[in-house]
Amino acid sequence: MWPMDATGVPTPWAPSAGEHLAINRAEVLRYLGYTGQEMEPELADRIETVVATLEASLAPRGVWAVFALRGTDGDAPEDTDGAPPLSLDGSTVELAGRDIRRHLAGAPWCAAFAVTLGMDVERRLRTAGSQHPLEAAVLDAAASAAVEAAADALNTEVEHRAAAANLLCTWRFSPGYGDLPLDAQPGLLAALNATRLCGITATPTNLLMPTKSVTALVGLFPQAADADGRNQAGQTARPDARLACATCRFASGCSLRARGETCGRSAPA
Amino acid sequence: MTDTATTVLAPLTSRLAAGEAYRPRTLDALRIADGDLRAVLEGKRHLLFDGGMGTMLQAAGLKAGAAPELLNLSDRQAIERVHAAYVEAGAEVITTNTFGANALKLGDAAQVEEVYAAAVAAARAAGARYVAGDIGPLGALLRPLGTVSFDEAYREFARMARAAEEAGADLIVIETMTDLAEMRAAVLAVKEQTRLPIFATMTFEADGRTFLGTPPEVAAVTLDALGADVIGINCSLGPAEIRPFVQRMLGVTAKPVMVQANAGLPHVEDGQTVYSIGPEEYAAAVAEMVTDGVGVIGGCCGTTPAYTELLARIVAGCTPQTRTERPDFTCASAQRLVCLAEGTRQVAVIGERLNPTGKKRLQAALRAGDMDYVVGQGISQQEQGADALDVNVGLPGLDEPATMERVSEQLQASVVLPLQFDSTEPAAIEAAVRRYAGKPIINSVNGSAESLASVLPLAAHYGCNVIGLTLDEQGIPETAEARLKIAERIVREAEHWGIGRERILIDCLVMTVSTNQHQAQEILRAVQLVHDRLGVRCALGVSNVSFGLPARELLNATFLAAALGAGLDAPIINPGSERYMDVIRSFRVLNAEDEGSSAYIERYAGQTDPYRVAADVAAGKLVASDNSAGAAAKTPTQADTPAAGAAGADGSPVDTADQHEAIRHLVVTGRRGETARACEELLATVEPLELIDGYLIPALDEVGALFDRGKLFLPQLMASAEAARAGFDVIRAALPEASAAAKGAVCLATVKGDIHDIGKNIVKMLLDNYGYEVFDLGRDVEPEAILSCVREHGIRLVGLSALMTTTVANMASTIELLKREMPGVTIMVGGAVLTPDYARQIGADYYAKDAAESARICEEVLGA
Repeated sequence: MWPMDATGVPTPWAPSAGEHLAINRAEVLRYLGYTGQEMEPELADRIETVVATLEASLAPRGVWAVFALRGTDGDAPEDTDGAPPLSLDGSTVELAGRDIRRHLAGAPWCAAFAVTLGMDVERRLRTAGSQHPLEAAVLDAAASAAVEAAADALNTEVEHRAAAANLLCTWRFSPGYGDLPLDAQPGLLAALNATRLCGITATPTNLLMPTKSVTALVGLFPQAADADGRNQAGQTARPDARLACATCRFASGCSLRARGETCGRSAPA
Repeated sequence: MTDTATTVLAPLTSRLAAGEAYRPRTLDALRIADGDLRAVLEGKRHLLFDGGMGTMLQAAGLKAGAAPELLNLSDRQAIERVHAAYVEAGAEVITTNTFGANALKLGDAAQVEEVYAAAVAAARAAGARYVAGDIGPLGALLRPLGTVSFDEAYREFARMARAAEEAGADLIVIETMTDLAEMRAAVLAVKEQTRLPIFATMTFEADGRTFLGTPPEVAAVTLDALGADVIGINCSLGPAEIRPFVQRMLGVTAKPVMVQANAGLPHVEDGQTVYSIGPEEYAAAVAEMVTDGVGVIGGCCGTTPAYTELLARIVAGCTPQTRTERPDFTCASAQRLVCLAEGTRQVAVIGERLNPTGKKRLQAALRAGDMDYVVGQGISQQEQGADALDVNVGLPGLDEPATMERVSEQLQASVVLPLQFDSTEPAAIEAAVRRYAGKPIINSVNGSAESLASVLPLAAHYGCNVIGLTLDEQGIPETAEARLKIAERIVREAEHWGIGRERILIDCLVMTVSTNQHQAQEILRAVQLVHDRLGVRCALGVSNVSFGLPARELLNATFLAAALGAGLDAPIINPGSERYMDVIRSFRVLNAEDEGSSAYIERYAGQTDPYRVAADVAAGKLVASDNSAGAAAKTPTQADTPAAGAAGADGSPVDTADQHEAIRHLVVTGRRGETARACEELLATVEPLELIDGYLIPALDEVGALFDRGKLFLPQLMASAEAARAGFDVIRAALPEASAAAKGAVCLATVKGDIHDIGKNIVKMLLDNYGYEVFDLGRDVEPEAILSCVREHGIRLVGLSALMTTTVANMASTIELLKREMPGVTIMVGGAVLTPDYARQIGADYYAKDAAESARICEEVLGA
């Protein structure tokens, strides 16, 4: 049983005192299309200044909650016709599509979380966009990397809590990945009370606001049984040979893919 | 602009023009249930609200994320039971279960009116003494950062307010707001649509600001001026954490203050959700706040009737202390308060540069709708030390109300300074102040009957400060005494409208000394008289004084100092003038505003006196040279590589191939400063158009090609565009006629529903640097707005961007509209989710895979 003994209570999160989120410079450059081009030192300085300034001022907030999962029994059926809807027990959230079903297959519980960089970053993005286009492009990439780092940090927190209860986590899956539609966002935010606790809302077209926000779902299941770290259901926490591109939201328009390259993430962006 | 548009933008002005009389809001005009409630609103009686509803319902099994409002219809008895429990515990006010009962959240599930009707009925049936119609946030962010317009938000709140009043609520409580713009829409909606008392509370985080950055003082002064009857704080924090914030509110408003704190944070114990602060601890902390001066108390998340019982004991038989408000002058943006405190000689600089008179570049930007330039002028004044910004957009032929509204909205996204709206057209003033998130200044009203009648109601209704000009139907008077008389008239009239003298700045109107030399003394005397006899603060624009004389800045600066000495509180000046700001900063030592002179010392300690250096140069002590860092010159940073020279070391002309190579190299490596210098030198021997078309453009083309091959990545593409732009600017400055006159115009927009604009902004930057005239409509743009722009400016090429698969459908409908109405227009599309196939499917003419491709498409479509 989940150690908290009951589910559905949203818990606010912020990086702990002394925990400074680091922005991965290589990731920022990848978002900007960097593949090893030779850069003028002045430009490299400009880029680093933008990234470092953002990094020093990061104050992300988040919220997470664990729910019992309903509608996933046994293996993921390829054909979902007639299958009960996948839902987070004690909430109004229903998850549509095959990919999330596959992702959460066999997991008795699901942790949902949301994280955001906040409105101040939003304002800075907006101002840079109107005044300094180059800095704005770099800031946008840096903020994307930063919110991923914040999501990683909250994800890690969830993993620690899970480990304390002898549970393993899947990697995180967000609305917009694969065939999990964006219209899951409002329900997810409501179930997490994310508007009151973090100030995150969704636009009428289901985009998160502040834009540098992430919502995600992580399956929780009993510990590994064998040496490969697989449990009875055959799942591992961090599968290595995953088709990252197949579940990446940028798959169809990714310029790296267009050039026959990958971004190298084993977890999707 | 059509009459309907004006009526929407400036409804009060339209009604006044139609002959309606405006009556300022007073308690007498409201529908107040009984004498006790009235006493509460007058600050003479406490009032006890109920506690949390959501937590009670969740404890009873409501699912996380489910809408509790629908229970009013489906399980009214459950709601009544909760209400009854609070009534029994002693709550005088029952808040209706309508927190999220707006049309955006309810959708098809129920109508706003039926939910409010059922909710109010449930509260009544439970035996509530007073029923508060509850209004919570809409759940979507307002523009400019979000997608909901102010008017849209207003309409939703208006519907909720009317529904609550019709259902029989005794008062309205607007709560848990974090966005001051949204709060304003809600308060105005209740004020204009009902006659009910307004209780307005905002939610602050541990850092003392709302999620949108508003501190407690700003919320309090804005809501007080806007006409909320009770102001306060709810949610997010426990009572002990809220206390310092409530104290800050108590310090700036005399209106009754309200607190509804959370019972701490929830966790699970033995299968139950438990909040960290129990009833006794909670009540003890609230009691402290009542001692501080809080009049109205209740509970938010996590509180139950057990908490209410203890709170009832705190206020039983108690009367709130009388509180007065110090008559400080306050103006505010959503993030910042500017305060000229009573009894001090503090001064506030109002930046004057956002005024198109005599400013060609600004005029062009306003006409073209180039908001980036306008906002940039605001940002630079902020950086130069202005405390507030004057905003004037009056230009012949320009739709002033619409432009003023748009400029105000855009400024608020990027500038934290309070704004001052400057216009002679009341509709333009109203278009801005109706929607302004904060407490603005209106510039101006004057002593004429017409002005008083059309401007003061706006200041009263919208909670603004106002500058009063000492002129009337007879013009500007000669003497200080005559100016004082007009000032008195303005102050008296303002008082009738409920505008206290602490909200007024009198501008005694500066005449030019070259024609009216004795006037200077009169103006200074007038400032003194207004201060001494009227007790009202003064504003003044100083630059008029020197018109027609040499060394204008010198004379203006001296007059500024003299005026500050005479009592000027708010000079309206150009903060970009070092001389003026030196006067301000040194005066702030003399008036003790700069405590311990610390800012002055920090700034000036290392500085060289500009007069001394000039004297030294004259005395031959320093040799002025290009490499000297002294004197006044700010030299551009010199890089190591030598600039491309037009002449070789021995004076012979350099090979033009070398010249081309030099420019090419500088642009490709993205060196702004050097490209500018190189172009400057080349202008001596190369024709400007040849420099553009033969040197810079081919260099940019090559950059595009390198980018496509992956040899350059995005920041390098942009740095190169900046370098080319630096070159263009040099050429344009030297020979304005040579500027890339109409290479063609392009309209860019991110389509409706989509708020991602980085890609579009990159395209904009590149096309701009290629010399195209770019009309950037921004993001989340209606198809009709794009059509209007195309029509108005005769545009032949439109670029649309969308990042989400869900918004690409809006792209299709936009294309459809454009093709139907303007068949000659070419459309290119771009965005991460698009493919050439899909672009074809939705009817686009071109698919642009990146910014460089967009430039090529422009060349193809417009180049001929």
